[in-house]
Amino acid sequence: MYGWTGKLLHVDLTRGICERREIPTEILHAYLGGRGLGVRLMRDYFRLGPFEPDLPLIFAVGPLCGSNSPTAARLSCVSRSPLTGTIYDCSAGGRFAWRLKAAGLDAVFITGKSPQPVFLSIDPARDELHPAQLLWGKGVKETVAALSERGSVTTIGPAGENGVLFANIMMGEGNSIGRGGLGAVMGAKGLKAITAQGDGTTAIADKERFDRARGDVMRLFRASPVIFGELGIAEYGTPALVDLMAQRRMAPTENFRSTFFADSGNYSGPAIRKECGAKKEGCYGCPIQCKKASAAGEPLPEYETVNHFGGLNGISDLHAIVKANSLCNELGLDTISAAATLSAFGEARGRFPDAAEVASLLADIAYRHGQGELLSLGSRRMAELLGKPELSMSVKSLELPAYDPRGAYGMALAYVTSNRGGCHLRAYPISHEILRKPVPTDRFSFSGKARIIKIAEDVNAAVDSLVACKFAFFGATLEEYGELISAVTGVEYGPESLKAIGERIYLTERFYNCANGFSHTHDMLPRRFFEEAGSAGEGIDVPPIDRARFEEELQKYYRIRGLDEDGRFGDRDLLAELP
Amino acid sequence: MRDQISKYTGKLLADRSACVDGIAFAAQDDVLIAAGAPELAALAGATLSRLNSLALVAARPSLPFADFLIARAGQGEECIVPQDTETRTFLHDIPFLRRKDLAGDAAPILARLLGNRKGVIVEGVGIVAVGAITVEQSFINYSSVFHSTFVKYLQDVLVDGFLLPGEREAFDSFRQEWLRPLSASGLDFVGALSLEKEEILAEIERVGRYTVERGLVDSFFGNISAVAGERIYISQTAASLDELKGCIDPVPADNSSTTGITASSELLAHRKIYEQTGARVILHGHPKFSVVMSMLCDKKAECAIKDCWKDCPHVRELGGTPVVAGEIGAGGLAKRVPPVIGASGSAIVYGHGVFTLGREGFGEAFAAMVDVENFCREEYFRRLGSTNGSKSDC
Repeated sequence: MYGWTGKLLHVDLTRGICERREIPTEILHAYLGGRGLGVRLMRDYFRLGPFEPDLPLIFAVGPLCGSNSPTAARLSCVSRSPLTGTIYDCSAGGRFAWRLKAAGLDAVFITGKSPQPVFLSIDPARDELHPAQLLWGKGVKETVAALSERGSVTTIGPAGENGVLFANIMMGEGNSIGRGGLGAVMGAKGLKAITAQGDGTTAIADKERFDRARGDVMRLFRASPVIFGELGIAEYGTPALVDLMAQRRMAPTENFRSTFFADSGNYSGPAIRKECGAKKEGCYGCPIQCKKASAAGEPLPEYETVNHFGGLNGISDLHAIVKANSLCNELGLDTISAAATLSAFGEARGRFPDAAEVASLLADIAYRHGQGELLSLGSRRMAELLGKPELSMSVKSLELPAYDPRGAYGMALAYVTSNRGGCHLRAYPISHEILRKPVPTDRFSFSGKARIIKIAEDVNAAVDSLVACKFAFFGATLEEYGELISAVTGVEYGPESLKAIGERIYLTERFYNCANGFSHTHDMLPRRFFEEAGSAGEGIDVPPIDRARFEEELQKYYRIRGLDEDGRFGDRDLLAELP
Repeated sequence: MRDQISKYTGKLLADRSACVDGIAFAAQDDVLIAAGAPELAALAGATLSRLNSLALVAARPSLPFADFLIARAGQGEECIVPQDTETRTFLHDIPFLRRKDLAGDAAPILARLLGNRKGVIVEGVGIVAVGAITVEQSFINYSSVFHSTFVKYLQDVLVDGFLLPGEREAFDSFRQEWLRPLSASGLDFVGALSLEKEEILAEIERVGRYTVERGLVDSFFGNISAVAGERIYISQTAASLDELKGCIDPVPADNSSTTGITASSELLAHRKIYEQTGARVILHGHPKFSVVMSMLCDKKAECAIKDCWKDCPHVRELGGTPVVAGEIGAGGLAKRVPPVIGASGSAIVYGHGVFTLGREGFGEAFAAMVDVENFCREEYFRRLGSTNGSKSDC
């Protein structure tokens, strides 16, 4: 078999058993890997609650991993989110995915609950569970250091152990499996960490075709100003977006009360480079190297993080923001949800936290001490408990990232149609509404956006299943990646067949969510965006979103997806139709 | 979306790339609409309904070059491989369908081909191009295919002559009727551009429009900039040169802001040119004859370099204008153009297009581009005449 290994590691934590099993080839062909494979493997379990022992936690790489395909040394982690209650996946880079694939696996399927803390070591020769009592309670850095001789490490921090609803699973290199609280799922299973150490290679069916396709991808990367431009993400990382979002008047500020933060220049890409001596880092084998680290090797914050620990909380001190980012990494907290929850908390009490208080509150959240107990529930539950539910800037309980929906109407729609809650990456309309890729669209218009969002969701579901990085698609398209996967696997794929796979994955996720009670009611933005204007400036007005027009476009979206007016499937038994 | 269809139908007519009675678009949101020439509209709608894309254009090109390329292709060939850099980078290859393969419903076959590529040529029907997320994108892809087939056909004729019945007559008609004299006459330019932002933006918008109107770009791409003190004003990536209002990024020379992340992919080339030449403005277009002529090289047969468009280290000349190789964006173009453009005020990039500059304003840059293209046009026909346009005269 080319591309895939065809193997899954089944880990039963309750019984302490690790067993390598075959994955049916037709499932791999139909769902690729990563998110798609994980979602398919959830079919018999999607109704289980996030903390029920039998709920699987799935790590799945893709067929391109290990092949030197640009940006493809990634995996998706799939389960059900304790924060949102939805099916959940997150794509993550680093080195772990590559090591996992090199250990001969396409996926790790973890079920059950260990009576004592354990860690899992994966090696081509032996897959084992080990006691981890001595690691339980340790921070991420210490855990990684303790296990590093066993290969690449992924671990939870105290936040995951303590069930914080937005706890991350952290990669040893500083990447994270973030947003939906899968760290808490891992913690509930008593699983502290996983190590992977393999040295196998991914077999490629047609090397000549692969080299040609790779050359095409790289040529498009070089032609993309967002990727390799002198102001692009290879140079400045995602904080390259800080200045742009400020200029476009869509940088969420003070819990989305405004959309412009006058001091955002303090944490722009150039400011971070100057103040922190930012140097390039990135995922294994990635030519872009968009992650940045300080001169001392400390991972530096991404755009979402600088905005949310910055303007969203009214903080302009770059070093305080960097410290907050480092603390989250060490404790295993999602930076977006942590900062957004603090911001909602700040608005609710009438005072946003200052830099010093942020640090102490983050520790309180991770250990669920004092106010941290309330904050560890995320903004939606916290705001409801405070009697101010309108202050949670979230969709399906997932805190919104740093693109104000009043400044990009495709983004507004995509936040609510996302199957994992208020996420920018499912359809990523910022790509065309702001960054003009592949072509620009009018950010203040809903026209055509229902279809555009649907198509983009399908594309990105396929991308998350290859697994490739979405940043690659600021330059390349599924045409080039279709060539790559065809060359690697020997199975013919093209843009249209990959989009069809993406659609299959998206609909499956939606079906799972609907079966768990989600409907049109949950596809809604916080009312602030319909009632309050953003910050005008530089000739740009940011009015409230027209609720009727928004609803009209959402109904169009449902029709395009084949859903009923309630956003559901009616009598259709979708799963019976799918492989 | 009907307004978009109307707009881009108008653009196809304005740039004379499609026949007046041979244009149709289809687009789908929650419903599918098709408009234009009835038969083509039916084909466009039936094809798009099978695709997970938003728009599609089916149009009959105003020149028969695409059909000639199919007829000249060998048995068993299924696609055209563009040689020019722009279309080669973004299209890779262009599949075609022969007339004999079109029995019955063409839509499923077209949908299958368009499931892998942005545009397809259908013999006797026209160019069919898809837009994944906008109507504009389908227009761009149509235009790229038209440009690519234009360039390739002219290249092939120069090498192999006319091979088909009626080909010479069609070519003569193209030369005498379709081609128009190219000049800068009748256009107004600010003589010496000031440092005032508003004047600079207005001039860039106007000259961008001229560049499209005089056919110096394919679809409407290319880029344009002016420098004023420590700031470069440059057209944004994927911006229509004829619609630049609100699409010009001010980029500080010291990169103290990244707002210009949306600037043209050639920002680095523009910056280096300013640094090395002291020019005030830069214009970059894709005039067709310049693109064709830039790919002619007497030494190809004996040269070891095969990917000339990116690897050729030599500086050749066309009428006094240097010709260099180099990829788009962060590739070699930004290294190779700045050192050679200062002396003549213009440079041609192999298989890609022309950069020109102005010391005071856009009048000089525009005139230089017209001169380069006119030289290349004349040189093309001179060479064609010297070979009599025919190796096996039909």
